[in-house]
Amino acid sequence: MDSYKAWPADGDERAIRFTGNWREYLPIAATNVALIIVTLGIYRFWATARQRRYLWSRTHIVDDGLEWTGTGKEMFFGFLMVVAFILPFFVFIQFLFPALVARGKEAAAGGLMFLFYIAFFYLAGVARFRALRYRLSRTWWHGIRGGSDNPGWNYGGEYLGRHALSFMTMFIMYPWAATRLWNSRWKAMSFGPLQFRADLTAKGLKARWVWVYIAPLLLMAVSAAIAMIVITAKLDGQEADPEKMAGLGGVLGVILVLFYIVLPLATLHWYAKFYRNAAAATTLGDIEFGFDATTWDWLKLFLGNIGLAIVTFGFGLAFWGYRQWAFMVRHMHVYGVVNLDQLTRSTVAAPREAEGWADAFDVGAI
Amino acid sequence: MIDGILYDGVTGDRREVRAEPIGGKLQLTHSDGSLETIDAAVLRRIDRDPDRLRIGRSDREGWRLLVPAAAKSDFDPLLGKEERYGRWIDRIGLVPALVTFGVITAGIVAIGYLSPKWIAPHVPESWERNVGDAIVGDFGDNRCRGAEGQRVLDKLVERLDPGATHGPNAIRIATLDFPIFNAAALPGAHIVVFQGALDEVEDPDALAGVVAHEIAHVRRRHVTQALIRELGIGALIRLFAGDVGVNAQQLVSLSYTRENEAEADRDAIVMLRRANISPKPTGDLFVQLANEMGEEPGFTGEFLQSHPLSRKRAERFVAAAQKGSPIGTPCLTANSTRSS
Repeated sequence: MDSYKAWPADGDERAIRFTGNWREYLPIAATNVALIIVTLGIYRFWATARQRRYLWSRTHIVDDGLEWTGTGKEMFFGFLMVVAFILPFFVFIQFLFPALVARGKEAAAGGLMFLFYIAFFYLAGVARFRALRYRLSRTWWHGIRGGSDNPGWNYGGEYLGRHALSFMTMFIMYPWAATRLWNSRWKAMSFGPLQFRADLTAKGLKARWVWVYIAPLLLMAVSAAIAMIVITAKLDGQEADPEKMAGLGGVLGVILVLFYIVLPLATLHWYAKFYRNAAAATTLGDIEFGFDATTWDWLKLFLGNIGLAIVTFGFGLAFWGYRQWAFMVRHMHVYGVVNLDQLTRSTVAAPREAEGWADAFDVGAI
Repeated sequence: MIDGILYDGVTGDRREVRAEPIGGKLQLTHSDGSLETIDAAVLRRIDRDPDRLRIGRSDREGWRLLVPAAAKSDFDPLLGKEERYGRWIDRIGLVPALVTFGVITAGIVAIGYLSPKWIAPHVPESWERNVGDAIVGDFGDNRCRGAEGQRVLDKLVERLDPGATHGPNAIRIATLDFPIFNAAALPGAHIVVFQGALDEVEDPDALAGVVAHEIAHVRRRHVTQALIRELGIGALIRLFAGDVGVNAQQLVSLSYTRENEAEADRDAIVMLRRANISPKPTGDLFVQLANEMGEEPGFTGEFLQSHPLSRKRAERFVAAAQKGSPIGTPCLTANSTRSS
């Protein structure tokens, strides 16, 4: 029996495939929604576990599917653990803040709020790291799982620091922050004995960030110019030509609409390239990754999500997770060779609090 | 004998084995011919996709036996029940679970809806006063400290509700120096009127209506109810809430607030009448506010706004004025409301 699997570098047979279909998933989605409603949301942890068990099992890498071993129970208790830890602080702040304001100590209240946001941001970073670690620790392939021994407290600090730097430079530094954080996060992860490596740089991403950056400024500048025209016309005392005014109003309306279209598009444009570059810059042992979703692909995904939710009167929301996962897998590529008899049991810790932190702070994992 | 694939959990190697259930045990024949017998007690059903049944072992992490799904019936006797919705749901079955939890949830929502109303009257006012003072304090620099203005406001409260500014449960009214048109009842029998409201109200009798409304909130323990609702059911639902929960909570607290608001309006009209102040200026004020905000009566607007429509509230006061209530004597001279 050969231990080597030659993975197709290209060709018809893709190394990673999604084999699920919506008809198979429909009963899962429907019962999840029903149970979440009647349990006032408590079932959502079990719903997530069921959804992932399905999605993972329908994701084939070369000759076998992935396996999700996380349970609803552990996610529920993980959430409770984290909430029990942070709830006292929330309650304390909730009473302390208005008490300070009511006593006219706005500066103290402001300082308190500032510290609160700093702590919140730090923990959000930790949460993001730990969610990824948890997901890898519950993901199995060929009887081997992933994970990390790093608890993520340092990552939280790095997350806070890099975002603070990005904020202080009015987000000019954001591409550097985002790429370095990707590297730090993934470098700490492993699968079996294999360590992830990531050396994503801002190279090739800056141009796209410029678009995200200048799009709102450009629109604001144009709106301001129009506003100036209107104001000067009024100051001149001329009763404005109503037709002209209506025209300007129309332009302002168009700009407002553009604001809601251009800005998300520019963001999507940035993220599309970010994920393509990020996948290409990440390796696991001798395995390399690729991701080929374009801005247009992402746009179709999101428009499809929205359309689906509308025509199904909201039920389609239950399919967003499915569509997102299928999208990621269908656009992902895996290249290289893995030595199966050296792909040995992972020795890293399997966290117990599951996604409690990420749940409490409502952040994603990847 | 069924051809299967074995992962031992130690390496990622994929080994071909032949598997056979024999007498409550699982017998594996490895490719080198060796035999292995595994007790059914340690076997776990992991998952099933259309092609394969996946079996794990509780004593060996990562150990997996994959057999064709077609052979499922051969292995079923060795394996426990399939977990479908989570053990706690499977135990009672999907439909009974939906019904049971549906009933329990409806009960919790009903109690959450009603209990603040039941509990609020039994909360000692001294407790509420302690909580209120802790939250509110003395308002620091935000409070207008003019003695004359304060005297005028106290006099107004006394006229609306004689004796209200004295005793252990005295209503404490204050003006806050913010340019906002609003007034509010706070925990601990505090009523605050914002400077913006004092500046904007043209007829002092309208101010009397607004203050009477807030006095009613205090006296009816609406503030206490709101506190309980916020700390109790609100926190609980928000904890687990997906979007469903948030909407449910909003509906509960909204309909509640509306009921309280209507009650406070009715009390306010009674107070105004008793004090011989016409409710009409209050009604006019609400009409004016409704016009300024461009509120249009409509089913969704009516239902989803956190406060009842001002127009509707205005109608109550105007109707009260028309129902032969005395025109009344003006409660204050126009400029005496300017405090600090």
